[in-house]
Amino acid sequence: MIKSLHLDLHKLSNFVSLAIPFTAIAAFLCGVYISFYFHFISVALFFVFLVDLSYRKIQNRHTVLKNFGIMGQARYLIESIGPELRQYLFANDTEERPFNRQQRAEVYRKAKDIDSAASFGSMYNFNAEEIKVRHSMFPSSKAALKPFSVSVGEERGLNTAYTITRPIMISAMSYGALGSNAVRSLARGARLANIPMNTGEGGYPKYHLMEGSDLIFQLGTAKFGVRRDDGSLDDAKLQELAAKPEIKMLEIKLSQGAKPGKGGLLPKEKISEEIAELRGVSKDQDVISPPHHFECKDLSTTISFIKHVQDGSGLPTGIKLCVGSLDEFRALVGEMKKQDTFPDYISVDGSEGGTGAAPRAFLDRVGMPLLPALCGVNTILTEEGVRDRLKIFAAGKLIDPGSQMLAFALGADVIYSARGFMFALGCIQALQCGNNTCPVGITTHDPSLTKGLVIGEKALRVKNYVENIEHDLIELLAATGKHSLHELTLDNLYIPSQSSLGSMVREDPFTKPQANAVV
Amino acid sequence: MKNSSLFSWALQITTAVVLSFAVYPKFAGAGESVALFTSIEMEPFGRYLIGALELLAVILLLIPSSVAYGALLTWGLMMGATMGHLTAIGFSGSNLSLGLLAITLLVLSSTILYIRRKELPLIGSMFDRSTEAKCGTPKS
Repeated sequence: MIKSLHLDLHKLSNFVSLAIPFTAIAAFLCGVYISFYFHFISVALFFVFLVDLSYRKIQNRHTVLKNFGIMGQARYLIESIGPELRQYLFANDTEERPFNRQQRAEVYRKAKDIDSAASFGSMYNFNAEEIKVRHSMFPSSKAALKPFSVSVGEERGLNTAYTITRPIMISAMSYGALGSNAVRSLARGARLANIPMNTGEGGYPKYHLMEGSDLIFQLGTAKFGVRRDDGSLDDAKLQELAAKPEIKMLEIKLSQGAKPGKGGLLPKEKISEEIAELRGVSKDQDVISPPHHFECKDLSTTISFIKHVQDGSGLPTGIKLCVGSLDEFRALVGEMKKQDTFPDYISVDGSEGGTGAAPRAFLDRVGMPLLPALCGVNTILTEEGVRDRLKIFAAGKLIDPGSQMLAFALGADVIYSARGFMFALGCIQALQCGNNTCPVGITTHDPSLTKGLVIGEKALRVKNYVENIEHDLIELLAATGKHSLHELTLDNLYIPSQSSLGSMVREDPFTKPQANAVV
Repeated sequence: MKNSSLFSWALQITTAVVLSFAVYPKFAGAGESVALFTSIEMEPFGRYLIGALELLAVILLLIPSSVAYGALLTWGLMMGATMGHLTAIGFSGSNLSLGLLAITLLVLSSTILYIRRKELPLIGSMFDRSTEAKCGTPKS
């Protein structure tokens, strides 16, 4: 920059610091000799002078304030409103994370049942690494499509086998992470849409049960709701819960995509009377969620524990995990074969999964992303010859029908989404889930914020979202020329070699698009 | 409630009550008040303006989320009043009690400001150790 045009902010701030007291004195003199009204200025400037002085001479914490005085405050002020400015004004439609404006808008339109057709063209960069769905020259007629139906537990011949009739389900969100209104809106929406909802690991699902929807009870590593005081499983409590007609399936959470390999800590300050009761913990001490179940010390005890829960509950019982290593997963499958015990389903959670609160390093750096993990899990199960012994659920940022198609093609039987449903409830991605200050009343227990979330209204949004997702999936399915989402395979995907999946398919799809055999 | 908070509320209520006794004669146009504002050439507009600001300060002092702002406004008004007494109005006759009242309220509001220093706009975070790790100045 040309020197003469350069604004030296340090000099300017020093000048301002000197100018303030002089102007204050001038205003004071004007107040004395011209008009008393000038004292409004002199008093205000006197205050500003005191603030500037304290920034420069008294406080020692902030370097910028110590060096630049009150002018340095401008930096903090503007920085503090940066996230809002970027989201409202400056960020592109496709550049925000975790969900960009375009993805959010699609969910909002589906939830509000507004036509989501867009004009002129795609906003994505087409010569990049995005995976596309291959269509057929001869799309199937919609009348010929098979209705969606996945029966969980049929492999074991359970009379409690549960049939899922729609392609998406509500993923694990506990009361605690969500406020009661949000939980009830989702549960009522799930009932209207006839889909199951996962309770999350938050203990006895009091609010989930209120709306009469089908539930998948999640058994977290701390076993909230069904624990003994030492944190081990209380079989009697589990059986009591499993006997409830609303609870259709169980899910043993081995790990979570957002923080795989890490347990949580519930500080005693946050344990209210209600939370203590629902989770079955004492109010007087911190509750530690261990990073794994006490019972699951190695492969063999893990499978025994699954068998124990399956036998104890009588319900279809699956596991949820975020894959760290596919070799480890192959060993797990080997142990399943050895003991001839299979979970009724495996929920594969991608490391891109959401959470109320997790250390940033875990959010950003731990676990396999969904698509490669799902591809690997499906391949291993197929190679080991046990793919038909269980179902696969897929979770991890699958909020729109396009990405859900990818998961189906990679072997998923049903899709789990949590944040998609939060958007349907009106989430604006304010990223305050852990602060109890959610501006749209979803992840907060503050009554003045949850009052904006009207259960009846939002339940309809949930239903609309499910119906419009299914509508789009049917259209996409017809375009591929297949007749059921479960007929889709890797061959239905166009996978550029730079994508996260590129290394998992043997042939480079650019040169040999016909041969997409998997490793 | 912590002792400092109780003490602050006692001061706030005292300040608000005393201040509201100062508001009434300004709006009612009491002779004493008119005379005072005439002497500093602010009659009648300035009398209503100061009265309105004092009323606002009373209200802000009594709403929990705005106490620091109310104390700040009181501090500013009383700073001005004290300056007025020192330079133009003087302390003779009935102006003595008014001047002493202004100084008392100045001390009271300064004390409230000190107790509630963490709640002050812009400078509050300087006193709040718990926000150390956060980026930017947290909004109280």
